[in-house]
Amino acid sequence: MQSYWFGDVGDGRCILFIGDSNTIIDRVRSISPNMDSFVPLEWEQAVLCGAFRDRIDYLTKLQAVCIVAAERSIREQYSRKDAELLQMVRTLDEIDTVINLLSERAAEWYLVRHPAFSRKYRRTPAHILVKTMREKSKGALGRVAGEIEQLAETRTILAKEVSARADEVMPNTSALIGGLVAARLLSHAGGLLLLSRLPASAIQVLGARTALFAHLKTRSPCPKHGIIFQHRRVHNAPRDVRGKVARVLAGKLAIAARLDYFRGVEAPEFLDAAQERIDATGRRSVP
Amino acid sequence: MIWIGDVLVSQGEGGVYNERILGGARVWDPHRSKLSALYHVGTGIELTPGMRVLYLGAANGTTVSHVADYVEVVYAVEFAPRPMRDLLEVSRRRRNIIPIMADAARPEQYATLVEAVDLLYQDVAQPEQANIALRNCSFLKTGGLLVLMLKTRSVDVRKEPSEVFQDTLDALTSAGFIVQESVWLAPYHHDHAAIVCTKPVV
Repeated sequence: MQSYWFGDVGDGRCILFIGDSNTIIDRVRSISPNMDSFVPLEWEQAVLCGAFRDRIDYLTKLQAVCIVAAERSIREQYSRKDAELLQMVRTLDEIDTVINLLSERAAEWYLVRHPAFSRKYRRTPAHILVKTMREKSKGALGRVAGEIEQLAETRTILAKEVSARADEVMPNTSALIGGLVAARLLSHAGGLLLLSRLPASAIQVLGARTALFAHLKTRSPCPKHGIIFQHRRVHNAPRDVRGKVARVLAGKLAIAARLDYFRGVEAPEFLDAAQERIDATGRRSVP
Repeated sequence: MIWIGDVLVSQGEGGVYNERILGGARVWDPHRSKLSALYHVGTGIELTPGMRVLYLGAANGTTVSHVADYVEVVYAVEFAPRPMRDLLEVSRRRRNIIPIMADAARPEQYATLVEAVDLLYQDVAQPEQANIALRNCSFLKTGGLLVLMLKTRSVDVRKEPSEVFQDTLDALTSAGFIVQESVWLAPYHHDHAAIVCTKPVV
């Protein structure tokens, strides 16, 4: 007997499957034929089964089932917990780019209006500068500065949400490197499933694509860290052990991502040991 | 294939992706579609009204819609949810496109839906492109055609495209396929090649 979407066929017999689109889809998903000995279906058999009048009727019904199936798969994909986090963190990074670009441009414009202005020896943080520009400028420039401030506010709110969502979606990874950086790793990998499948060595250099391919193609040194550099224990580590810390951290992250995907809850016994190991690597300095 | 002067067109309901309409027919742009590029740089294959096609890597349904204008039915397999939404929109307007959301590398996921086909068309961005074609060839009738759009950069960015091209040709011939035509799709698509072959009668 060979099973097809409309029923089972074999030995000159045909057993029709009765059900609506959803039960048919469940059936299709449950059948996994052995492709070596697989014989593709013949639509004439389906008609002989009695469920379809002719070829046009067969194709129309098949299309209807397939459209419902695809819609269901799309819904399932998008309802995964990490799907929204992915968009959130990408939006966050995009807002950062926009804020930087706009502030640079606005500052240039402000300089033209105030030729005597200089930022040297002032230690003016960027957001204060934007505030001054808003207060001291008339017209469009003042409004642009105002928009930058608004965007910065949105960014703060979004960053908190990303962090909170990351704690929920990937508790173990977030515990090791913080929600924001964890979410960025997720965004670069393309999803929690994909991240959990990455080897530690790939996680270590995730986000350092240019350097990595330069290394593979030429003789330039390989990158020691990608996104994980943003984590304090990597960028605060003494230079000589930084690569080592990155490697150990990436190793633990690979395990954490798998725990997050398959278990989905915090694993304290793993986290305690991992944190201890990472901290120990950071302290150890070459004499 | 229908040509108006040196413009390739297909007959069908227009407006799928704001394509140009010429003399009532839909212009099939070689810059947007690799199959159209194949007709421009090489011979390609004749699409006939009775053909059944299994299309792997259907994406947004741009090329699929043109193929569907020519043939009887297209089984369109696509993996990613985002382009799938566009493909569904195209399918709802065309009775002969069967959209299937599945991984082309795992034919057992959609084996129960697809009948034997005359043409297997593959345009997937995955490393194992020759293997995917071979895994799907149980759907292909003997003497049927395989059109493989080889994205050499998806196979291995470090290898020379020509090397990847040769490896793929070797893989197909050693599996018994008879290569009819193999061309690069430049200047329309860079580092992309088209391989047309037939499944031998065993």
